[in-house]
Amino acid sequence: MIPSSLRSGPGYWVASLGCMLRFEYGRIRQWVPMMVVIQTMMGAGMALMYGFFYPHITPARALYITTGAPTLALIPLGFVMLPGSVGSEKMEGTFDYIWSLPAPRSAQATATFLLYSLIGLPGTALALLVAMWRYGAHLAPSPLLVPAALLCALVAIAVGYGMALAISNPLVMNLIANALVFVVLLFSPIVYPASQLPGWLYAAHRVLPFYNMAVVIRAGLTSGLVAHVTTSFLVLIGWTIAGCGATAWVIGRRH
Amino acid sequence: MTMAVVPSSTVEHGPARAWHSFRSMLYWHLASLRIWMMTLAAVQVLSGVGFVLGISLFFKHIPTSAALFVSTGVPVINLVMVGLILGPQLVADQRSNGSYEYLRSMPVSRSVNAAAWYTVCLIGGVPPMFVSLVVAWLRYNVPLHLSAMIIPAIVLTSFAATMLGYALAHAISQPMATRLITQMLVFVIFGYAPVLFPMRQMPRWLGTVNWWFPFRHMATVTRAALTSGPSPGLVTSYIVLGAWSVLCAGLALRALGRRP
Repeated sequence: MIPSSLRSGPGYWVASLGCMLRFEYGRIRQWVPMMVVIQTMMGAGMALMYGFFYPHITPARALYITTGAPTLALIPLGFVMLPGSVGSEKMEGTFDYIWSLPAPRSAQATATFLLYSLIGLPGTALALLVAMWRYGAHLAPSPLLVPAALLCALVAIAVGYGMALAISNPLVMNLIANALVFVVLLFSPIVYPASQLPGWLYAAHRVLPFYNMAVVIRAGLTSGLVAHVTTSFLVLIGWTIAGCGATAWVIGRRH
Repeated sequence: MTMAVVPSSTVEHGPARAWHSFRSMLYWHLASLRIWMMTLAAVQVLSGVGFVLGISLFFKHIPTSAALFVSTGVPVINLVMVGLILGPQLVADQRSNGSYEYLRSMPVSRSVNAAAWYTVCLIGGVPPMFVSLVVAWLRYNVPLHLSAMIIPAIVLTSFAATMLGYALAHAISQPMATRLITQMLVFVIFGYAPVLFPMRQMPRWLGTVNWWFPFRHMATVTRAALTSGPSPGLVTSYIVLGAWSVLCAGLALRALGRRP
């Protein structure tokens, strides 16, 4: 006879979240230093690299590149590393195993979100420090930086995770992730002003998450450089909800 | 006393045999690249046409010199993409899924196989290179000046890149390490070697480091063949590229000749 009844309720959910956090951390613990290093290299490396493309780095350019560095560090984490890890979990079968655990799937997804957000923050901060050291830009950080950085980490992870779950073929996902990063890094106004874009591309970026991530982080690091910060926050919240919605839709279905 | 059993056929060699093997391996490589066609096309278009068009967004008004550097640097990236980046990843996949040993067991000499692969790299690199050049010319109207030196420049740049990729693919037995190194190389070629921008825009020490690596020299020889005007250090660049080619070819062929 099975003694237990059906387990549910907020208390059980929180306990599951704690267990899943420990489980997930135990799984990726050995990769954490490498992920932080890769992420710092991507963020800081990109920030240094953009500088090489300009014949003269004016103070305005230096400021744009420096304040774009944190966004450059977050995008690869959410849009490449997280989908890549989900892809290899699917190939190895770990993904199905985790779903079979007696923890609510929403707790499992939340654990992944929290863990990756935490892992993402040191690399993001390091990328900013390296860029500040290289370009000697004067920043004026404000308390807005905290919600901005957290929301950006969350939006990158939520959208990346939602995509990784919704697109079932890991090879297709891999191709999309790599193409996306290339397009984002080249055609997004993250390290240069949006006024340099053609009108239609700017219009597209106002509804996509990448430019808005750069706007809110820049708003937290400088004063008076960007406008329409509230709109950007709203767009990012919308993308976070969409990413979580896609996640919820996939994990709410049976195979 | 019994006679030793001699296999009925003799060992085949000679130019006719080499030509036959070369053709077979060329077909083989082209056919096995078929499933990679989508990836290859996407990578070449994004890195070529994408970069040519995207770079102008970095500037309010792009200076002619910056446009010229990108227009003459992107062809180098198109040329090396198959041999240096895609090739090693292909071999890494073969090692992971076990077909690598099977391919090595085929009765084709190592150098003929390498020559066939080099031909494939030329086929996969030269057309995108010219597409990027045409797009750059249409977009920026840059003063390109195509000279006959483009032929040795293409031949040697592609050969050095292919042999470097060949050495990475065959001399490093860990597929994971090969993948990591090639991904780092992409990063280096785009941002940390003076291929897409002039060397004076990077720190002096980084330029010096780049002298020892082939990418700067690939850009020098290709740029010299695409533009008019003086190109200092051209002979040195050809020599350095030649040295890298010989070194990498030697490493790769030695690794392939070793018994597992």
